Amino acid sequence: MSQAPNENPSCPGKKDKHEARRDFLKQSSALMALALTPPLVVKAGEHDETIAGLFEKMPVSMEINGKAYQLSVEPRVTLLDLLREQLHLTGTKKGCDHGQCGACTVHVNGQRINSCLTLAVMQEGKKITTIEGLAQGDTLHPVQEAFIKHDGFQCGYCTPGQIMSAVACIREGHAGSPEEIREFMSGNICRCGAYDNIVAAITEVKQGGHTV
Amino acid sequence: MKKQTVGQSMDRVDGRLKVTGGARYFADHQPEGMLYAALVCSPVSSGRITAIDATKALRAPGVADVVSHLNAPPVPGYKVENPNPKQGLKIFHDDRIYSNGQPVAIVVANTLERAVYAASLVKVTYAQEVHQTDMAHSMDQAFQNKNMKDYLRGEADAWKKAPVSVEAEYNIPIEVHNPMELAGIIAHWETPDKLTLYAKTQGVKSVQQSLKTLFQLPESQITVHSQFVGGAFGMALRIWPMEIATILAAKKIRKPVKLVITRKDMFTLVGYRPAAKQRIGIGATAEGKLTGITHEAVANTSPYEDFTEAIVNMSRMMYACPNVNTHYQLVPLNLSTPVWMRGPGEATGAFALESAIDELAHKLHMDPLQLRLVNHADIDPERNLPYSSKYLKEAYEMGAAKIGWQQRSQTPGKLEENGWLVGYGMSSGVFGAGRGRATASATLKADGSLVVRSAAADIGPGTATAMVQIAADATGIDVKKIKFLLGESEYPEAPRQGGSSTVSTVGSAVNDVCRNLQQKLGELATANIPAFKDLKAENIQHEDGQLVAGNTRLDYAALLQQQQLPELVVTTTSQAGDERKQYAMYSFSVHFAKVQVHPATGVVRIKHIVSVADSGTVVNSKTARSQMIGGVVGGIGMALTEEALIDHRFGRYVNNNYADYHVPVNADTPPTDVLFINKKDPVINPMGAKGMGEIALIGFAAAVSNAVFNATGKRVRDLPITPDKLI
Amino acid sequence: MNQFSYVRPASQQAAIDAITRDSSARFIAGGTNLLDLMKNGVLAPEKLVDINRLPLKNITLNNNILHIGALTLNSEVAAHPLVKTHHPLLSQVLLAGASQQLRNMATTGGNMMQRTRCSYFYDITMPCNKRTPGSGCSAIGGINRMHAIFGASDQCIAVHPSDMCIALVALDATVLVAGPKGNRRIPFGEFHRLPGNTPDKDNNLGKGELITGIEIPHSPFTQNVYYLKVRDRASYAFALVSVAAALDISNNTIRGARLAMGGVAHKPWRLHEAEKTLIGKSPTADNFRIAATVATQSARTYQHNAFKVPMAQNSIVTALQKAAAV
Repeated sequence: MSQAPNENPSCPGKKDKHEARRDFLKQSSALMALALTPPLVVKAGEHDETIAGLFEKMPVSMEINGKAYQLSVEPRVTLLDLLREQLHLTGTKKGCDHGQCGACTVHVNGQRINSCLTLAVMQEGKKITTIEGLAQGDTLHPVQEAFIKHDGFQCGYCTPGQIMSAVACIREGHAGSPEEIREFMSGNICRCGAYDNIVAAITEVKQGGHTV
Repeated sequence: MKKQTVGQSMDRVDGRLKVTGGARYFADHQPEGMLYAALVCSPVSSGRITAIDATKALRAPGVADVVSHLNAPPVPGYKVENPNPKQGLKIFHDDRIYSNGQPVAIVVANTLERAVYAASLVKVTYAQEVHQTDMAHSMDQAFQNKNMKDYLRGEADAWKKAPVSVEAEYNIPIEVHNPMELAGIIAHWETPDKLTLYAKTQGVKSVQQSLKTLFQLPESQITVHSQFVGGAFGMALRIWPMEIATILAAKKIRKPVKLVITRKDMFTLVGYRPAAKQRIGIGATAEGKLTGITHEAVANTSPYEDFTEAIVNMSRMMYACPNVNTHYQLVPLNLSTPVWMRGPGEATGAFALESAIDELAHKLHMDPLQLRLVNHADIDPERNLPYSSKYLKEAYEMGAAKIGWQQRSQTPGKLEENGWLVGYGMSSGVFGAGRGRATASATLKADGSLVVRSAAADIGPGTATAMVQIAADATGIDVKKIKFLLGESEYPEAPRQGGSSTVSTVGSAVNDVCRNLQQKLGELATANIPAFKDLKAENIQHEDGQLVAGNTRLDYAALLQQQQLPELVVTTTSQAGDERKQYAMYSFSVHFAKVQVHPATGVVRIKHIVSVADSGTVVNSKTARSQMIGGVVGGIGMALTEEALIDHRFGRYVNNNYADYHVPVNADTPPTDVLFINKKDPVINPMGAKGMGEIALIGFAAAVSNAVFNATGKRVRDLPITPDKLI
Repeated sequence: MNQFSYVRPASQQAAIDAITRDSSARFIAGGTNLLDLMKNGVLAPEKLVDINRLPLKNITLNNNILHIGALTLNSEVAAHPLVKTHHPLLSQVLLAGASQQLRNMATTGGNMMQRTRCSYFYDITMPCNKRTPGSGCSAIGGINRMHAIFGASDQCIAVHPSDMCIALVALDATVLVAGPKGNRRIPFGEFHRLPGNTPDKDNNLGKGELITGIEIPHSPFTQNVYYLKVRDRASYAFALVSVAAALDISNNTIRGARLAMGGVAHKPWRLHEAEKTLIGKSPTADNFRIAATVATQSARTYQHNAFKVPMAQNSIVTALQKAAAV
């Protein structure tokens, strides 16, 4: 269990006045920064947004693909955008940004989720696995191998999400029949239409009894 | 000799990159100092911008600039005033709004979140004018341009005199390509006259050419990278205004700028399949011999460009019919410009023609397969030319056997399974088998490896894989030692990936450059190697990456090493010849569908699909099958689920997202059998491959609607066939 | 999204306090609907109160009453042996909603708090009384194929999108709520509201109130249950209409019946009158047809959704047939 952060003391909590809040926040942040920080930061504060940014960010720790990260992010940053834009783990894709396509599927504590609809700060203490963390070195995961063998993709853009979802689908015990696979893989859209091959790939891994 | 590679089921050469997240699409790049952009788009559908207040946005943290027509750098290409007012949307050039969702400003900031939020702070005011987005209310605006001439063979409207005839109207709604990858671009002016782009495009050279004109820069100053493209289906065949907007912002700010548009914007900024209203009149003798076809179509375009495609063309050449006339018009609406979407106009037209054939067969009390066989065109009836190859009759036969066509009831509504009505339907598809001009370079290295380059694109069919196979067969070098590189504007010229012609066009260049490489190697050998001295280069045998003279075999690699050459580079341009004037060249497809319809709820479930392709030589049976099943899934969407809905009061889409615009999901798709004729076309190109990207989809929707009719007796002429239309 | 502050209170009381203090604060649990709405600019809270670490994630059976903690995930509820054994209808409806990824994020309480999927609510450029009271209802006179046929008003014709809630209203669940003034219990059927003149209010929760769980009483509906969801694609789509049917049949006589519909009203739509017609009757298509006719008597349709009346009737009959396994 993580520590509960204190509420941001600089938030005046005025309704429907985001701009007033913003200006206030920028001023108060700058003032507090001047009061609290050594000259180095003050110098960086020639653009006041730099200081505002420091105060608007929050610390968050998580483990991604087995590696521990201590990060500082704005609360509004989604897990997906954190992975892609800040950590350069660009294997996870943005297809809709609204939980409607599955391209951003990652595992959080072993469960598949849409990383576009969760905030990075909500992942405190969680273990994240992305497509980059699935293979063991040069040895591909059996589902990755099966996707290549059965051509479970064309353009490849939905593929990281499909594979993360497929691994979870097998682990959950939802790969018992082609019909069940089709239903439980329906949260991952493939516009190239590789569904038949995706089902074949998952079926083979499931029937092969591989540890996934 | 080693086994031929073309025709094998080979894994994709880029498969490993795609399953590990290592494949880098445009948005995965991050040039140093890159900023993020977000668009401000118009909520009005026609009018003028009267003011843009960016004060708040500019004050927001991290914002670098807000660029609009008020402050955008000039585009030199815009200044060339063309007497034709329909020269496209000149983004940020003036205050004019033509359609809802048109970008009016671009906000650039140092993080994605800040750019997106700041865009919401830009206040734009508009002088709104009357708009029209409903084709039904704009039919009086219909017009023809010079690309849309009427066609007449024999007598016009001859179907009206036929003993048995059908006249019907078919409508398809706007469909949106919606590739999984969101569109956008990364633009970087490395110097004031040197532009580097990471783009989502079906043709890097095409992007380069467009920008060369717009920004009046030499090609050498424009670099376009696009090695992986996350699907496109036609939407990346041209450069779009939002890409120009990003390039302008990057120019003004003098830093790399990345724009990734939203899913909502995918409906308004990067094209779509236009809505089309079609009328078919078709007549036959009592024995089913066609006597006349009339095909009329009206489709929408934008106010500022005429988008035309081949909607009525299939009716001219699919069947042996003495009298055919077609008529095609456009209606301008306050929408952005359409663009070819997989199968393009032919898929729209095939829905109408192949539905009408089914309706006629029903009226004739004839098996629709039999009707098609009776009217099979043995030569191209439009151009009076023999086909380079045509195995359509075999395709009908193979597909009918596989689906179990004999189980179909000629009378609709007779079959049932578990309380569901069962129906069988079929259709045909046809698409011109093209071959353009392309250049490839081949670099043979002293270690025996071969790198072939061409500025082709790959939006998913497996271009590099097919090219490696073609190069392997042409040179005898093992596939593992061959690389094919694409998607870079610095590579030799290749056309856009579209119209099912990449294997035909680029594959021919790859084949030819490999042959020329062998010729060069032969020349090297005859000039320098004693055993080859008495031979002519063109007479030397090549086997398995070796030159052969009697009992002497010489590895290509050894030859280069002996000559102390680190590499040998050959570049070749390849294009079609006169054969295209002597033959009609087409790929054909046949689709069979077995559907179930739930009589209480109107739900349609597709139970089994059989698609047969007469596409010449199949270069890679694995990726070819994938391309065909992909067309089937696209066809299921066209038939059953896809429709972009506009509230005409606002001129605005109301289902512009993946939750409400229903792209088929895994559970919508049935087991699919793909069958290939796989017979080499003897004329079209050295491989004998005719292309299959389009025929995979063309006609498919009609197979489903014909099956639904067979199951229920209800003829749905307005796509998609949603449950409400069947109860 | 606007910038906002984020807090993760350590206790239920601290969470309620945080919301009560700040009028623009919101609870966040799964976030699957809230973040979607924030990205669309429909909501712009200045503070998010993350309740995910509160101890509200449990499924227990006491005295035959099933208790489901508000933070229990939709996927966990669907797969839980107690749910599958005692209330299989709930398991069925959950698996008919969204995707497995979303079910792994969405919570029981959050599912109940889902906003409508009406396009006009989501698009801030078009009028919507639910989003901006007094601006008008664009769905009336607009594209309303997905909209309500029961209980709508001239202010709003949106429908509630949840599948889970259809089963919960059918099963007579109770919503457990904690708030600044203490705890209270709300019968499920009284939790959500009809639009009336206040379509901006989806439910009867007060400011600062937090759903802590639901209770489902013992019921005989463990065998003859069925959820029929009619939609535009086979999965991962909202309902055109859906029907939850539960029957208690002995000796070919219906002893108890529950019927509720989704996709047809601003709240999960319980069909009490139709249920009554079934009691004491045999489970035949004719009797089911009578119930379906009664169920749709109050239907009112709009330009694009008239099909929902026959579709609703047919779906009720089909769902009852499936439930009765006849």
